[in-house]
Amino acid sequence: MKKAWFAAVAALFAASPAFAADKVTLMLNWYVYGEHAPFYYGKEKGYFAEQGIDLEIQEGRGSGVTAQAVAAKTADFGYVDVPTMIKAAAKGAPLVATGVLLQTSPMSAMGFSDKNIRKPEDIKGKTVAVTPGDSMSQIWPLFLKKTGLKESDFRTVSGDAQTKLNAVINGQADLLLGYVMDQSMKIKDATGKAVTPIRFADYGIKMVSSGIVANTDFVKEKEGLVRRFMAAATKSVEEASKHPKDAAQAILTANPKGGQLATLTEGFELTIPLYKDPDGKSKQPFRVSDDNMKESMDLLVEYGGLDAAARGKLAGFYTNAYLPNPGK
Amino acid sequence: MDRRRGVTAAERVLNSGWLRPLIFLVLLTLLWDVTVRVLKIPPYLVPAPKDVIVALVAEWDVLLAAAVPTTIATLGGFALSVAFGIPIAMLIAGSRTVEAYVYPLLVFSQSIPKVAIAPLFVVWFGFGIVPKVISAFLLGFFPIVVSAVQGFKSVDQDMMDLARSMKASRLQTFRMVSLPHALPAIFAGLKVSVTLAVVGAVVGEFVGSNSGIGFVLQRSIGNFELPTMFAALIVLALIGVVLFWIIDVVERLAIPWHASQRHLVVATA
Repeated sequence: MKKAWFAAVAALFAASPAFAADKVTLMLNWYVYGEHAPFYYGKEKGYFAEQGIDLEIQEGRGSGVTAQAVAAKTADFGYVDVPTMIKAAAKGAPLVATGVLLQTSPMSAMGFSDKNIRKPEDIKGKTVAVTPGDSMSQIWPLFLKKTGLKESDFRTVSGDAQTKLNAVINGQADLLLGYVMDQSMKIKDATGKAVTPIRFADYGIKMVSSGIVANTDFVKEKEGLVRRFMAAATKSVEEASKHPKDAAQAILTANPKGGQLATLTEGFELTIPLYKDPDGKSKQPFRVSDDNMKESMDLLVEYGGLDAAARGKLAGFYTNAYLPNPGK
Repeated sequence: MDRRRGVTAAERVLNSGWLRPLIFLVLLTLLWDVTVRVLKIPPYLVPAPKDVIVALVAEWDVLLAAAVPTTIATLGGFALSVAFGIPIAMLIAGSRTVEAYVYPLLVFSQSIPKVAIAPLFVVWFGFGIVPKVISAFLLGFFPIVVSAVQGFKSVDQDMMDLARSMKASRLQTFRMVSLPHALPAIFAGLKVSVTLAVVGAVVGEFVGSNSGIGFVLQRSIGNFELPTMFAALIVLALIGVVLFWIIDVVERLAIPWHASQRHLVVATA
Protein backbone atom coordinates (compact mmCIF):
# COMPACT_ATOMS: atom_id res chain seq x y z
CA MET A 1 0.00 0.00 0.00
CA LYS A 2 2.79 2.38 1.00
CA LYS A 3 4.80 1.50 -2.11
CA ALA A 4 1.87 2.35 -4.33
CA TRP A 5 1.41 5.66 -2.55
CA PHE A 6 5.09 6.57 -2.98
CA ALA A 7 4.92 5.62 -6.64
CA ALA A 8 1.90 7.87 -7.15
CA VAL A 9 3.62 10.82 -5.51
CA ALA A 10 6.77 10.22 -7.53
CA ALA A 11 4.73 10.10 -10.72
CA LEU A 12 3.04 13.34 -9.75
CA PHE A 13 6.41 15.04 -9.27
CA ALA A 14 7.70 13.65 -12.53
CA ALA A 15 4.67 14.91 -14.38
CA SER A 16 4.49 18.34 -12.75
CA PRO A 17 7.43 20.21 -14.35
CA ALA A 18 5.38 20.68 -17.46
CA PHE A 19 2.63 22.36 -15.44
CA ALA A 20 4.65 24.22 -12.79
CA ALA A 21 4.68 27.99 -13.08
CA ASP A 22 8.01 29.78 -13.50
CA LYS A 23 9.14 31.37 -10.26
CA VAL A 24 10.03 34.95 -11.01
CA THR A 25 11.27 37.71 -8.68
CA LEU A 26 10.55 41.34 -9.43
CA MET A 27 12.62 43.70 -7.29
CA LEU A 28 11.15 47.18 -6.96
CA ASN A 29 13.14 50.39 -6.87
CA TRP A 30 12.20 51.30 -3.30
CA TYR A 31 9.89 50.42 -0.46
CA VAL A 32 6.35 50.05 -1.81
CA TYR A 33 4.35 53.14 -2.68
CA GLY A 34 1.45 54.04 -5.03
CA GLU A 35 3.45 53.70 -8.27
CA HIS A 36 3.85 49.94 -7.71
CA ALA A 37 0.12 49.21 -7.55
CA PRO A 38 -0.21 47.56 -11.02
CA PHE A 39 2.16 44.72 -10.13
CA TYR A 40 0.36 43.88 -6.91
CA TYR A 41 -2.97 44.16 -8.75
CA GLY A 42 -1.79 41.88 -11.54
CA LYS A 43 -0.52 39.30 -9.10
CA GLU A 44 -3.77 39.39 -7.14
CA LYS A 45 -5.95 39.14 -10.24
CA GLY A 46 -3.91 36.26 -11.63
CA TYR A 47 -2.64 38.02 -14.80
CA PHE A 48 0.84 36.71 -14.06
CA ALA A 49 -0.41 33.25 -13.10
CA GLU A 50 -2.33 32.92 -16.38
CA GLN A 51 1.00 33.49 -18.16
CA GLY A 52 2.52 30.68 -16.11
CA ILE A 53 4.42 33.01 -13.80
CA ASP A 54 4.58 32.65 -10.02
CA LEU A 55 5.53 36.22 -9.20
CA GLU A 56 7.34 37.32 -6.04
CA ILE A 57 7.57 41.08 -5.54
CA GLN A 58 10.46 42.31 -3.39
CA GLU A 59 10.85 45.84 -2.13
CA GLY A 60 14.15 47.48 -3.05
CA ARG A 61 16.62 49.95 -1.56
CA GLY A 62 17.20 52.33 -4.43
CA SER A 63 17.27 51.99 -8.21
CA GLY A 64 21.05 51.66 -8.17
CA VAL A 65 21.03 48.73 -5.78
CA THR A 66 18.19 46.98 -7.62
CA ALA A 67 19.94 47.50 -10.98
CA GLN A 68 23.09 45.89 -9.58
CA ALA A 69 21.05 43.02 -8.16
CA VAL A 70 19.51 42.33 -11.57
CA ALA A 71 22.94 42.59 -13.21
CA ALA A 72 24.24 40.03 -10.72
CA LYS A 73 21.17 37.81 -11.40
CA THR A 74 20.08 37.99 -7.78
CA ALA A 75 16.69 39.20 -9.05
CA ASP A 76 15.10 38.23 -12.37
CA PHE A 77 13.45 41.56 -13.17
CA GLY A 78 13.86 44.98 -11.66
CA TYR A 79 11.50 47.95 -11.64
CA VAL A 80 13.96 50.82 -11.62
CA ASP A 81 14.65 54.32 -12.88
CA VAL A 82 15.79 53.55 -16.43
CA PRO A 83 18.35 56.41 -16.64
CA THR A 84 20.00 54.93 -13.53
CA MET A 85 20.05 51.55 -15.27
CA ILE A 86 21.63 53.16 -18.34
CA LYS A 87 24.38 54.63 -16.16
CA ALA A 88 25.11 51.21 -14.73
CA ALA A 89 24.97 49.63 -18.20
CA ALA A 90 27.38 52.23 -19.54
CA LYS A 91 29.85 51.04 -16.88
CA GLY A 92 29.50 47.49 -18.14
CA ALA A 93 26.51 46.09 -16.23
CA PRO A 94 24.68 43.60 -18.50
CA LEU A 95 21.26 45.24 -18.33
CA VAL A 96 18.51 46.05 -20.79
CA ALA A 97 15.17 47.80 -20.27
CA THR A 98 12.42 45.57 -21.64
CA GLY A 99 9.77 48.25 -21.13
CA VAL A 100 9.76 51.90 -20.05
CA LEU A 101 6.60 52.62 -18.07
CA LEU A 102 6.95 56.20 -16.87
CA GLN A 103 7.66 58.17 -20.02
CA THR A 104 7.11 61.56 -18.42
CA SER A 105 9.34 62.40 -15.51
CA PRO A 106 7.85 62.09 -12.00
CA MET A 107 10.63 64.25 -10.56
CA SER A 108 9.57 67.34 -8.68
CA ALA A 109 10.44 69.79 -5.94
CA MET A 110 7.67 69.55 -3.37
CA GLY A 111 6.64 71.27 -0.17
CA PHE A 112 3.58 71.89 1.98
CA SER A 113 0.78 73.51 -0.02
CA ASP A 114 0.24 76.16 2.63
CA LYS A 115 3.75 77.49 1.99
CA ASN A 116 2.46 78.62 -1.43
CA ILE A 117 5.55 77.53 -3.34
CA ARG A 118 3.96 76.88 -6.71
CA LYS A 119 6.33 78.31 -9.31
CA PRO A 120 10.11 78.14 -9.64
CA GLU A 121 10.42 81.83 -8.64
CA ASP A 122 8.92 80.93 -5.26
CA ILE A 123 11.94 78.72 -4.57
CA LYS A 124 14.17 81.78 -4.10
CA GLY A 125 15.17 82.22 -0.48
CA LYS A 126 13.90 78.80 0.54
CA THR A 127 15.69 75.68 1.82
CA VAL A 128 15.74 72.62 -0.44
CA ALA A 129 16.55 69.11 0.82
CA VAL A 130 18.39 66.86 -1.65
CA THR A 131 20.05 63.45 -1.55
CA PRO A 132 23.53 63.60 -3.09
CA GLY A 133 24.06 61.07 -5.86
CA ASP A 134 20.43 60.22 -6.57
CA SER A 135 18.76 60.75 -9.93
CA MET A 136 16.94 63.96 -8.98
CA SER A 137 20.02 65.65 -7.61
CA GLN A 138 21.63 65.19 -11.02
CA ILE A 139 18.78 66.68 -13.06
CA TRP A 140 18.29 69.52 -10.56
CA PRO A 141 20.98 71.71 -12.21
CA LEU A 142 19.11 71.39 -15.53
CA PHE A 143 15.86 72.42 -13.84
CA LEU A 144 17.66 75.44 -12.39
CA LYS A 145 18.97 76.31 -15.83
CA LYS A 146 15.58 75.93 -17.50
CA THR A 147 13.87 78.08 -14.90
CA GLY A 148 16.58 80.73 -14.59
CA LEU A 149 17.42 79.95 -10.97
CA LYS A 150 20.93 79.89 -9.51
CA GLU A 151 22.35 77.74 -6.67
CA SER A 152 22.87 80.94 -4.70
CA ASP A 153 19.14 81.74 -4.81
CA PHE A 154 18.30 79.17 -2.18
CA ARG A 155 19.83 77.09 0.60
CA THR A 156 20.56 73.37 0.17
CA VAL A 157 20.67 70.71 2.86
CA SER A 158 21.74 67.14 2.05
CA GLY A 159 20.63 63.92 3.62
CA ASP A 160 19.37 60.45 2.88
CA ALA A 161 15.76 59.69 1.95
CA GLN A 162 14.42 59.58 5.51
CA THR A 163 16.22 62.76 6.48
CA LYS A 164 14.68 64.63 3.53
CA LEU A 165 11.20 63.63 4.64
CA ASN A 166 11.91 64.54 8.27
CA ALA A 167 13.34 67.88 7.21
CA VAL A 168 10.21 68.96 5.34
CA ILE A 169 7.82 67.56 7.96
CA ASN A 170 9.69 69.40 10.73
CA GLY A 171 10.16 72.61 8.85
CA GLN A 172 13.95 72.36 8.63
CA ALA A 173 13.51 72.49 4.85
CA ASP A 174 10.75 74.08 2.75
CA LEU A 175 11.08 71.70 -0.21
CA LEU A 176 12.51 68.31 -1.06
CA LEU A 177 13.34 66.73 -4.41
CA GLY A 178 11.18 63.67 -4.90
CA TYR A 179 8.70 61.84 -7.09
CA VAL A 180 5.23 63.39 -7.34
CA MET A 181 3.52 60.23 -6.09
CA ASP A 182 5.99 59.06 -3.44
CA GLN A 183 7.21 61.49 -0.79
CA SER A 184 4.18 63.75 -1.19
CA MET A 185 1.91 60.93 -0.07
CA LYS A 186 4.20 59.93 2.78
CA ILE A 187 4.20 63.49 4.07
CA LYS A 188 0.43 63.57 3.75
CA ASP A 189 0.19 60.32 5.76
CA ALA A 190 2.38 61.71 8.50
CA THR A 191 0.91 65.18 8.83
CA GLY A 192 -2.48 65.13 7.11
CA LYS A 193 -1.45 68.23 5.15
CA ALA A 194 -1.43 68.50 1.38
CA VAL A 195 1.80 68.84 -0.59
CA THR A 196 2.25 70.78 -3.83
CA PRO A 197 4.89 69.54 -6.28
CA ILE A 198 6.63 71.69 -8.87
CA ARG A 199 7.02 69.12 -11.65
CA PHE A 200 10.26 69.15 -13.61
CA ALA A 201 8.33 67.90 -16.65
CA ASP A 202 6.31 71.13 -16.70
CA TYR A 203 9.51 73.10 -17.31
CA GLY A 204 10.79 71.30 -20.34
CA ILE A 205 12.60 68.38 -18.73
CA LYS A 206 11.91 65.36 -20.88
CA MET A 207 13.33 62.36 -19.11
CA VAL A 208 11.93 58.85 -18.87
CA SER A 209 11.81 57.23 -15.48
CA SER A 210 10.72 53.85 -14.15
CA GLY A 211 10.68 50.73 -16.27
CA ILE A 212 11.31 47.01 -16.23
CA VAL A 213 14.92 45.94 -16.58
CA ALA A 214 16.48 42.50 -16.93
CA ASN A 215 19.89 40.92 -17.30
CA THR A 216 20.88 40.65 -20.99
CA ASP A 217 21.92 37.00 -20.59
CA PHE A 218 18.62 36.20 -18.86
CA VAL A 219 16.72 37.81 -21.74
CA LYS A 220 18.64 35.76 -24.30
CA GLU A 221 18.19 32.46 -22.46
CA LYS A 222 14.56 32.93 -21.43
CA GLU A 223 13.01 34.92 -24.25
CA GLY A 224 9.66 33.20 -23.86
CA LEU A 225 9.49 33.98 -20.16
CA VAL A 226 10.36 37.63 -20.77
CA ARG A 227 7.57 37.92 -23.36
CA ARG A 228 5.06 36.35 -20.99
CA PHE A 229 6.17 38.59 -18.15
CA MET A 230 5.85 41.77 -20.24
CA ALA A 231 2.45 40.63 -21.52
CA ALA A 232 1.25 40.11 -17.94
CA ALA A 233 2.78 43.41 -16.83
CA THR A 234 1.13 45.30 -19.71
CA LYS A 235 -2.28 43.81 -18.91
CA SER A 236 -1.73 44.59 -15.18
CA VAL A 237 -0.99 48.23 -15.95
CA GLU A 238 -3.96 48.59 -18.32
CA GLU A 239 -6.41 46.99 -15.89
CA ALA A 240 -5.05 48.72 -12.80
CA SER A 241 -5.40 52.10 -14.53
CA LYS A 242 -9.12 51.39 -14.85
CA HIS A 243 -9.50 50.42 -11.19
CA PRO A 244 -7.05 52.56 -9.19
CA LYS A 245 -8.65 52.01 -5.80
CA ASP A 246 -8.68 48.22 -6.19
CA ALA A 247 -5.09 48.36 -7.37
CA ALA A 248 -4.07 50.33 -4.29
CA GLN A 249 -6.02 47.89 -2.14
CA ALA A 250 -3.99 45.05 -3.68
CA ILE A 251 -0.86 46.63 -2.22
CA LEU A 252 -2.39 46.66 1.25
CA THR A 253 -3.68 43.10 0.94
CA ALA A 254 -0.18 41.92 0.17
CA ASN A 255 1.54 44.31 2.57
CA PRO A 256 -0.71 45.70 5.31
CA LYS A 257 1.97 48.18 6.36
CA GLY A 258 2.35 49.48 2.82
CA GLY A 259 0.61 52.78 3.53
CA GLN A 260 -2.89 54.21 3.71
CA LEU A 261 -5.52 53.31 1.11
CA ALA A 262 -6.46 56.92 0.37
CA THR A 263 -2.94 58.15 -0.25
CA LEU A 264 -1.86 55.00 -2.10
CA THR A 265 -4.82 55.47 -4.43
CA GLU A 266 -4.02 59.17 -4.87
CA GLY A 267 -0.37 58.34 -5.53
CA PHE A 268 -1.30 55.78 -8.17
CA GLU A 269 -3.75 58.18 -9.80
CA LEU A 270 -0.93 60.74 -10.01
CA THR A 271 1.24 58.11 -11.70
CA ILE A 272 -1.19 57.13 -14.48
CA PRO A 273 -0.78 60.34 -16.57
CA LEU A 274 2.99 59.78 -16.55
CA TYR A 275 2.62 56.59 -18.61
CA LYS A 276 2.25 58.78 -21.70
CA ASP A 277 5.22 60.63 -23.13
CA PRO A 278 5.23 64.45 -22.88
CA ASP A 279 3.72 64.76 -26.39
CA GLY A 280 0.96 62.28 -25.54
CA LYS A 281 1.76 59.95 -28.42
CA SER A 282 2.36 56.61 -26.61
CA LYS A 283 0.11 53.83 -27.81
CA GLN A 284 0.72 51.20 -25.19
CA PRO A 285 2.18 50.95 -21.70
CA PHE A 286 5.91 50.21 -21.66
CA ARG A 287 6.33 50.96 -25.38
CA VAL A 288 8.72 53.92 -25.52
CA SER A 289 9.61 55.93 -28.62
CA ASP A 290 13.16 56.27 -29.87
CA ASP A 291 12.86 60.06 -29.76
CA ASN A 292 11.92 59.99 -26.10
CA MET A 293 14.88 57.76 -25.27
CA LYS A 294 17.23 59.91 -27.29
CA GLU A 295 16.15 63.04 -25.41
CA SER A 296 16.69 61.28 -22.10
CA MET A 297 20.09 60.10 -23.28
CA ASP A 298 21.10 63.64 -24.26
CA LEU A 299 20.16 64.87 -20.78
CA LEU A 300 22.11 62.03 -19.18
CA VAL A 301 25.24 62.87 -21.12
CA GLU A 302 24.99 66.59 -20.51
CA TYR A 303 23.88 66.56 -16.86
CA GLY A 304 24.07 63.00 -15.61
CA GLY A 305 27.79 62.58 -16.01
CA LEU A 306 27.32 59.84 -18.57
CA ASP A 307 30.20 59.25 -20.96
CA ALA A 308 29.38 60.65 -24.44
CA ALA A 309 30.58 57.40 -25.98
CA ALA A 310 27.53 55.72 -24.48
CA ARG A 311 25.30 57.57 -26.96
CA GLY A 312 26.28 55.08 -29.62
CA LYS A 313 25.16 52.18 -27.47
CA LEU A 314 21.71 53.61 -26.72
CA ALA A 315 19.93 51.09 -28.94
CA GLY A 316 21.32 48.27 -26.84
CA PHE A 317 20.00 49.72 -23.59
CA TYR A 318 16.28 49.30 -24.28
CA THR A 319 13.97 47.22 -26.43
CA ASN A 320 10.28 47.03 -27.27
CA ALA A 321 10.74 43.58 -28.85
CA TYR A 322 9.27 41.64 -25.94
CA LEU A 323 6.07 43.66 -25.62
CA PRO A 324 2.75 42.27 -26.81
CA ASN A 325 1.45 43.63 -30.10
CA PRO A 326 -0.45 46.88 -29.53
CA GLY A 327 -4.18 46.86 -30.18
CA LYS A 328 -4.42 43.09 -29.95
CA MET B 1 75.70 38.72 12.70
CA ASP B 2 78.17 40.61 14.86
CA ARG B 3 75.99 42.33 17.44
CA ARG B 4 78.81 44.40 18.80
CA ARG B 5 78.66 46.61 15.71
CA GLY B 6 75.26 47.85 16.72
CA VAL B 7 72.31 48.18 14.39
CA THR B 8 73.06 49.18 10.80
CA ALA B 9 70.91 51.65 8.89
CA ALA B 10 69.61 48.89 6.64
CA GLU B 11 68.55 46.83 9.62
CA ARG B 12 66.85 49.84 11.13
CA VAL B 13 64.78 50.31 7.97
CA LEU B 14 63.93 46.62 7.75
CA ASN B 15 62.81 46.53 11.37
CA SER B 16 60.90 49.80 11.33
CA GLY B 17 57.20 49.74 12.15
CA TRP B 18 55.91 50.74 8.75
CA LEU B 19 57.82 48.48 6.38
CA ARG B 20 56.24 45.16 7.20
CA PRO B 21 52.64 46.35 7.04
CA LEU B 22 53.52 48.06 3.76
CA ILE B 23 54.84 44.80 2.32
CA PHE B 24 51.70 43.01 3.49
CA LEU B 25 49.55 45.73 1.95
CA VAL B 26 51.32 45.36 -1.38
CA LEU B 27 50.81 41.60 -1.23
CA LEU B 28 47.09 42.05 -0.50
CA THR B 29 46.75 44.49 -3.39
CA LEU B 30 48.41 42.00 -5.74
CA LEU B 31 46.06 39.29 -4.48
CA TRP B 32 43.07 41.60 -5.11
CA ASP B 33 44.29 42.33 -8.63
CA VAL B 34 44.83 38.67 -9.43
CA THR B 35 41.43 37.70 -8.03
CA VAL B 36 39.63 40.33 -10.12
CA ARG B 37 41.42 39.14 -13.26
CA VAL B 38 41.10 35.40 -12.67
CA LEU B 39 37.46 35.46 -11.59
CA LYS B 40 36.67 38.12 -14.24
CA ILE B 41 34.82 40.24 -11.71
CA PRO B 42 33.01 43.05 -13.56
CA PRO B 43 34.08 46.63 -12.70
CA TYR B 44 30.62 47.63 -11.56
CA LEU B 45 30.81 45.04 -8.74
CA VAL B 46 34.44 45.31 -7.57
CA PRO B 47 36.89 47.75 -9.14
CA ALA B 48 40.43 46.70 -10.08
CA PRO B 49 43.20 48.09 -7.83
CA LYS B 50 44.70 50.02 -10.72
CA ASP B 51 41.44 51.99 -11.25
CA VAL B 52 41.20 52.70 -7.53
CA ILE B 53 44.75 54.05 -7.39
CA VAL B 54 44.10 56.19 -10.47
CA ALA B 55 40.94 57.57 -8.84
CA LEU B 56 42.82 58.15 -5.58
CA VAL B 57 45.49 60.20 -7.32
CA ALA B 58 43.07 62.07 -9.58
CA GLU B 59 40.65 63.02 -6.79
CA TRP B 60 43.23 63.50 -4.08
CA ASP B 61 42.45 67.18 -3.48
CA VAL B 62 38.69 66.53 -3.26
CA LEU B 63 39.20 63.61 -0.89
CA LEU B 64 41.63 65.55 1.28
CA ALA B 65 39.22 68.48 1.51
CA ALA B 66 36.41 66.05 2.41
CA ALA B 67 38.58 64.38 5.05
CA VAL B 68 38.74 67.60 7.09
CA PRO B 69 35.10 67.81 8.25
CA THR B 70 35.02 64.06 8.86
CA THR B 71 38.15 64.23 11.02
CA ILE B 72 36.83 67.21 12.95
CA ALA B 73 33.58 65.40 13.68
CA THR B 74 35.55 62.29 14.68
CA LEU B 75 37.77 64.22 17.07
CA GLY B 76 34.79 66.05 18.53
CA GLY B 77 32.94 62.81 19.19
CA PHE B 78 36.07 61.18 20.54
CA ALA B 79 36.73 64.08 22.91
CA LEU B 80 33.18 63.79 24.24
CA SER B 81 33.62 60.02 24.65
CA VAL B 82 36.74 60.58 26.75
CA ALA B 83 35.24 63.47 28.71
CA PHE B 84 32.14 61.48 29.64
CA GLY B 85 33.49 57.95 29.50
CA ILE B 86 36.33 58.13 31.99
CA PRO B 87 34.41 59.85 34.82
CA ILE B 88 31.49 57.45 34.37
CA ALA B 89 33.93 54.54 34.46
CA MET B 90 35.40 55.89 37.68
CA LEU B 91 31.93 56.05 39.21
CA ILE B 92 31.11 52.55 38.08
CA ALA B 93 34.41 51.13 39.31
CA GLY B 94 34.22 52.99 42.58
CA SER B 95 30.68 52.23 43.63
CA ARG B 96 28.88 48.90 43.62
CA THR B 97 25.56 50.75 43.66
CA VAL B 98 26.28 52.82 40.60
CA GLU B 99 27.60 49.77 38.80
CA ALA B 100 24.49 47.75 39.56
CA TYR B 101 22.16 50.47 38.27
CA VAL B 102 24.08 51.98 35.39
CA TYR B 103 26.30 49.34 33.78
CA PRO B 104 23.57 46.98 32.51
CA LEU B 105 21.71 49.93 30.94
CA LEU B 106 24.88 51.02 29.21
CA VAL B 107 25.30 47.57 27.72
CA PHE B 108 21.62 47.59 26.66
CA SER B 109 22.07 50.93 24.92
CA GLN B 110 25.00 49.57 22.95
CA SER B 111 22.78 47.17 21.08
CA ILE B 112 20.68 49.98 19.65
CA PRO B 113 21.85 50.42 16.05
CA LYS B 114 23.10 53.98 15.73
CA VAL B 115 22.34 53.97 11.99
CA ALA B 116 18.66 53.66 12.79
CA ILE B 117 18.52 56.60 15.19
CA ALA B 118 20.93 58.87 13.32
CA PRO B 119 18.08 60.51 11.32
CA LEU B 120 16.51 61.54 14.63
CA PHE B 121 19.64 63.48 15.54
CA VAL B 122 19.26 65.53 12.37
CA VAL B 123 15.64 66.23 13.31
CA TRP B 124 16.62 67.32 16.82
CA PHE B 125 19.88 69.13 16.11
CA GLY B 126 19.66 70.29 12.50
CA PHE B 127 22.01 69.80 9.60
CA GLY B 128 25.28 71.08 11.08
CA ILE B 129 28.17 69.24 12.65
CA VAL B 130 26.30 68.39 15.88
CA PRO B 131 24.55 65.20 14.68
CA LYS B 132 27.85 63.89 13.32
CA VAL B 133 29.67 64.57 16.60
CA ILE B 134 26.89 62.87 18.56
CA SER B 135 26.98 59.90 16.21
CA ALA B 136 30.75 59.60 16.66
CA PHE B 137 30.37 60.01 20.42
CA LEU B 138 27.76 57.25 20.70
CA LEU B 139 29.95 54.77 18.87
CA GLY B 140 33.16 55.68 20.65
CA PHE B 141 31.76 55.87 24.16
CA PHE B 142 31.32 52.24 25.10
CA PRO B 143 34.88 50.88 24.51
CA ILE B 144 36.31 53.65 26.68
CA VAL B 145 33.91 52.94 29.53
CA VAL B 146 34.45 49.19 29.46
CA SER B 147 38.24 49.39 29.35
CA ALA B 148 38.42 52.18 31.92
CA VAL B 149 36.20 50.25 34.34
CA GLN B 150 38.49 47.28 33.84
CA GLY B 151 41.52 49.48 34.45
CA PHE B 152 40.21 51.15 37.60
CA LYS B 153 39.04 47.85 39.03
CA SER B 154 42.40 46.21 38.52
CA VAL B 155 44.30 48.59 40.75
CA ASP B 156 46.20 46.53 43.28
CA GLN B 157 44.40 46.70 46.62
CA ASP B 158 47.75 46.64 48.46
CA MET B 159 48.76 49.86 46.71
CA MET B 160 45.49 51.49 47.73
CA ASP B 161 46.02 50.39 51.31
CA LEU B 162 49.57 51.75 51.20
CA ALA B 163 48.36 55.11 49.98
CA ARG B 164 45.68 55.22 52.68
CA SER B 165 48.20 54.27 55.35
CA MET B 166 50.26 57.26 54.23
CA LYS B 167 47.22 59.53 54.69
CA ALA B 168 46.89 60.34 51.00
CA SER B 169 43.79 62.37 50.10
CA ARG B 170 41.28 60.97 47.62
CA LEU B 171 42.62 63.22 44.89
CA GLN B 172 46.19 62.22 45.61
CA THR B 173 45.26 58.53 45.62
CA PHE B 174 43.52 58.98 42.29
CA ARG B 175 46.36 60.94 40.75
CA MET B 176 49.25 58.85 41.99
CA VAL B 177 47.84 55.33 42.28
CA SER B 178 44.49 54.68 40.55
CA LEU B 179 44.95 56.64 37.35
CA PRO B 180 48.46 55.45 36.45
CA HIS B 181 47.43 51.85 37.08
CA ALA B 182 44.34 52.24 34.96
CA LEU B 183 46.09 54.01 32.09
CA PRO B 184 47.23 50.93 30.13
CA ALA B 185 43.67 49.62 29.96
CA ILE B 186 42.32 53.09 29.20
CA PHE B 187 44.71 53.53 26.28
CA ALA B 188 43.60 50.20 24.83
CA GLY B 189 40.03 51.46 25.00
CA LEU B 190 41.00 54.79 23.44
CA LYS B 191 42.54 53.06 20.45
CA VAL B 192 39.39 51.04 19.76
CA SER B 193 37.20 54.05 20.42
CA VAL B 194 38.90 56.38 17.96
CA THR B 195 38.49 53.96 15.06
CA LEU B 196 34.82 53.54 15.93
CA ALA B 197 34.41 57.31 16.20
CA VAL B 198 35.46 57.56 12.52
CA VAL B 199 32.65 55.16 11.61
CA GLY B 200 30.21 57.18 13.68
CA ALA B 201 31.17 60.41 11.93
CA VAL B 202 30.63 58.83 8.50
CA VAL B 203 27.25 57.38 9.52
CA GLY B 204 26.26 60.86 10.60
CA GLU B 205 27.35 62.21 7.22
CA PHE B 206 25.34 59.63 5.29
CA VAL B 207 22.25 60.71 7.04
CA GLY B 208 22.56 64.45 6.67
CA SER B 209 25.55 66.35 5.41
CA ASN B 210 26.88 68.53 2.61
CA SER B 211 30.50 67.66 3.16
CA GLY B 212 32.86 65.00 4.35
CA ILE B 213 33.92 61.57 3.18
CA GLY B 214 30.41 60.20 3.83
CA PHE B 215 29.05 62.72 1.33
CA VAL B 216 31.69 61.70 -1.26
CA LEU B 217 30.82 58.04 -0.66
CA GLN B 218 27.08 58.66 -1.14
CA ARG B 219 27.62 60.58 -4.35
CA SER B 220 30.04 58.06 -5.85
CA ILE B 221 27.77 55.12 -4.97
CA GLY B 222 24.86 56.90 -6.64
CA ASN B 223 26.88 57.40 -9.82
CA PHE B 224 28.29 53.87 -9.88
CA GLU B 225 31.79 55.39 -9.57
CA LEU B 226 33.21 52.42 -7.68
CA PRO B 227 36.90 53.39 -7.99
CA THR B 228 36.14 56.76 -6.34
CA MET B 229 34.10 55.00 -3.68
CA PHE B 230 36.97 52.64 -2.86
CA ALA B 231 39.42 55.55 -2.89
CA ALA B 232 37.21 57.35 -0.33
CA LEU B 233 37.19 54.19 1.79
CA ILE B 234 40.99 54.11 1.67
CA VAL B 235 41.17 57.73 2.83
CA LEU B 236 38.75 56.87 5.64
CA ALA B 237 40.92 53.95 6.71
CA LEU B 238 43.97 56.22 6.61
CA ILE B 239 42.24 58.69 8.95
CA GLY B 240 41.65 55.83 11.38
CA VAL B 241 45.27 54.68 11.10
CA VAL B 242 46.68 58.16 11.69
CA LEU B 243 44.48 58.77 14.74
CA PHE B 244 45.33 55.33 16.12
CA TRP B 245 49.02 56.04 15.65
CA ILE B 246 48.75 59.41 17.43
CA ILE B 247 47.19 57.71 20.44
CA ASP B 248 49.93 55.11 20.31
CA VAL B 249 52.59 57.83 20.47
CA VAL B 250 50.81 59.52 23.39
CA GLU B 251 50.65 56.14 25.10
CA ARG B 252 54.37 55.63 24.71
CA LEU B 253 54.98 59.01 26.32
CA ALA B 254 52.42 58.54 29.10
CA ILE B 255 53.17 55.02 30.25
CA PRO B 256 56.71 54.20 29.20
CA TRP B 257 57.05 52.01 32.26
CA HIS B 258 54.35 49.53 31.25
CA ALA B 259 55.18 45.98 30.17
CA SER B 260 53.52 46.51 26.79
CA GLN B 261 55.98 49.27 25.92
CA ARG B 262 59.07 47.12 26.38
CA HIS B 263 60.97 46.41 23.22
CA LEU B 264 63.16 43.40 22.70
CA VAL B 265 66.64 44.27 23.82
CA VAL B 266 69.41 41.93 22.91
CA ALA B 267 71.88 41.95 25.72
CA THR B 268 75.47 41.81 24.72
CA ALA B 269 77.42 38.90 25.98
